[in-house]
Amino acid sequence: MTEYGHDEILELIWTLREENRSTKPRLLECSEEEGPELLLDELAAAGHVEVTGDDLRLTRTGDERARGIIRRHRLAEVLLQNLFDLDPTQTESSACKFEHILTTPVTESVCTFLGHPPVCPHGRPIPRGACCDRIRTEIQPMVTRLSDAALGEIVRIVFITPKSRKRLEKLSSLGIVPGSRLRLLQRNPSYVLQIGETTVAVDRDITDEIYVKRT
Amino acid sequence: MRSEAVAPPGTSGKVILVGNPNVGKSVVFGYLTGRYVTVSNYPGTTVEITRGDARERDGSVEVIDTPGVYSLLPMSEDEKVTRDILMAETGARIIQVCDAKNMRRSLMITIQLAEMEVPLILAVNMADEAMARGVMPRVDELEKKIGIPAIPTVAVTKKGVDRLMSLSERSKPPSLRISYGEKIDSAIAQLEQLIPDTAPIGKRALALMLLCGDDSLTPWLAGNVRGDSIKEMNAIRNLMVEEMGEDIAYRVNQMRLQWIDSLLGGLGEEPAESRGTDWPQAFGRLAMDPLYGLPILLAVLFLAYEFVGVLGAKFLVDLLEGGLFGKGIVPAAVWVTERALPWPLARDFLVGPYGMISMALSYAIAIVLPIVGTFFLGFGILEDSGYLPRLAVMVDRVFKRIGCNGKAVLPMILGLGCDTMATLTTRILETRKERIIVTLLLALGIPCSAQLGVILGMLGKVGAAATTAWLVILIGVILAVGYLASKVIPGESSDFILEIPPIRMPLLGNLVVKTMARIEWYLREAVPLFILGTFLLFVADRFGWLLLLQKAAEPIVVGVLDLPPKTAEAFLIGFLRRDYGAAGLFDMARAGLLTNLQVLVSLVTITLFIPCLANFLVIVKEHGYKVAAGMAIFIFPFAILVGALVNFAARKAGIAF
Repeated sequence: MTEYGHDEILELIWTLREENRSTKPRLLECSEEEGPELLLDELAAAGHVEVTGDDLRLTRTGDERARGIIRRHRLAEVLLQNLFDLDPTQTESSACKFEHILTTPVTESVCTFLGHPPVCPHGRPIPRGACCDRIRTEIQPMVTRLSDAALGEIVRIVFITPKSRKRLEKLSSLGIVPGSRLRLLQRNPSYVLQIGETTVAVDRDITDEIYVKRT
Repeated sequence: MRSEAVAPPGTSGKVILVGNPNVGKSVVFGYLTGRYVTVSNYPGTTVEITRGDARERDGSVEVIDTPGVYSLLPMSEDEKVTRDILMAETGARIIQVCDAKNMRRSLMITIQLAEMEVPLILAVNMADEAMARGVMPRVDELEKKIGIPAIPTVAVTKKGVDRLMSLSERSKPPSLRISYGEKIDSAIAQLEQLIPDTAPIGKRALALMLLCGDDSLTPWLAGNVRGDSIKEMNAIRNLMVEEMGEDIAYRVNQMRLQWIDSLLGGLGEEPAESRGTDWPQAFGRLAMDPLYGLPILLAVLFLAYEFVGVLGAKFLVDLLEGGLFGKGIVPAAVWVTERALPWPLARDFLVGPYGMISMALSYAIAIVLPIVGTFFLGFGILEDSGYLPRLAVMVDRVFKRIGCNGKAVLPMILGLGCDTMATLTTRILETRKERIIVTLLLALGIPCSAQLGVILGMLGKVGAAATTAWLVILIGVILAVGYLASKVIPGESSDFILEIPPIRMPLLGNLVVKTMARIEWYLREAVPLFILGTFLLFVADRFGWLLLLQKAAEPIVVGVLDLPPKTAEAFLIGFLRRDYGAAGLFDMARAGLLTNLQVLVSLVTITLFIPCLANFLVIVKEHGYKVAAGMAIFIFPFAILVGALVNFAARKAGIAF
């Protein structure tokens, strides 16, 4: 579990640095790991952290690794709290697990899916990733709400998060299910979709619940 | 073994037409039976079961038309009507009418019908539109793959429909079954064990309905399944819910769609017929465009006004009332009765001030009929064009404020034709709350065509200011009462999910038949009530009750509303039919008995009355005595109150119009 322990220490240093108090006594006080001093020594030996007196500094490699951990953690928070509306007490422990297991492609997909959010639910900045840079040329996130989709563009439904079961049944009986291709025709005065040769008018909040991907 | 109560499939000599909304079931019904039922171009025209005898089989086969369904797991009252008839009419054969352009959705129903184990054939309808759009499926291939006989049809031009009857007679319960995955399939198998052999439809279909949590099956379960079996069924379902979540119906639909998509993918399509720009569809888009939608709406209203208000209410009424009745029939009747009938009472009964010919017939035929006729024709054009659902898109946000959604505009617009029929159409709304709100607003604020025509005729003479005032007051009342009702009436509003049909050129044949059917209906419905009302007035006049009544109503009619005492007569017969009351006002206004303000006050008051006895009875039928009585107790005093307020405000402000 040293890998896990190292991750936690690096993460903590990054967080403390944001608060301008990345000192060794502070770190040892805040850390929930067993034997934080040993873990710190190991990180220093591996060249991830420089310890000068009480001062802690991440090296270039350490900084890079910590950035990845923080990024995964905060993206997971956005995903679980903002999108899935889960209780923060629930999400924290899950987010802590996510930060260790997400691979780079998965992280980028999550980030793109969320539309490259700049901050976590607590308002702390989410470190940018390679996928975020591309946003300058490719403005649309990969997955959007149907209500935000470009008019007239054919999109594919990725998932639906409906408020009521009845709504889901009704949509599915019209052929609106994940995998279906459709087009948003207009937003005002009501949302109008075209699926196959069927035109359907729906409420805005329904199109908010349908997540689509460009094809 | 099935018990005797359940007829084996296909033996009852009945044929049920089933299908998605707006696919042409009623057109097929019309062809098969020679009986006309209202046919329009929007979903939800048929809300009740219609029965008729098939022409081809000398009346030995009964054909049943049903409301359109998106699923046989009912979501609204009209869908439940269809599912229930399938369960009640065991032994019937089914013709599923499909929209060739939307086979994906049609096949959703096909799968469910196959699971019900009913003898089934498919009429792949609107083949012409599907060909034009290049989406016509290979019907012969489809037939082979699903093992259900299918033929392409174009019902409106009678193509293919002549083969339906004979094909149906050879139909068998299809063997088509699809797998819903291991878990659901095994739950179905367990449930099938618990369903008694007397089940009216296939057990697999019932098991799926139960699994999907269909509450509307409760009465059937209570009568047919033992208590301990119901417990076991619940246990099976609960286990599924724990494993897959509440949305089993959705998963089932998803599996069906997946199956259909792979089927259609391998089917291939007929080559597309070439065609130029699709002008009707371009217009259809513009009609719900945020920018052009409103001007189009105003243009439609203007044309409707010109057609009904000017051509019908002015030109044709003048022709019939002033000419035919005023100069022809009535003087002739007077001449004849003076010579043929020696008794003054009998003469008065026919041609007196409350005479059958001089009042009842001349109101019904000369004043109201031309207006109703032009309205029904104009309205038929709107219905068949497919414009109305686009209107629902335009007004959805306004209707949200009154606890409904855009769909509620369909019964409201239909109410402009006839509030009684429209009250039945509220079944297309999904929640009781919405149905009650719309029923109330129909009874209160939507003048039917007959009344509207008379009113427009009167307002036209008074001027644009009074017309606008009347319109603004009515819309204000509808919105205010709707808003309050949405706060007071408990329950939920439903989602706005409305299918928009393609814009089509109305077919002259259907327009004529539909308009004639509605005029015939009007004559049958309204004329007897006109005669009854006139008779009541005649009797009341004879015995001097009319004066007593005028005296009794004076504090309200004269005191509060500032109207001449004679207006009480119009209000009295307005209880029977609003349009008849309005016709009485029309007569008074023309005789110069009403000032412009009085015209407005009396019209606002009578517009807000309950439309007619028939409407009241339909409210009773749909919602029960309590709701109907509650509405009546609210509406009549409220109508007079609004009239009094208009009168008071106008006098205070010194507006005389």
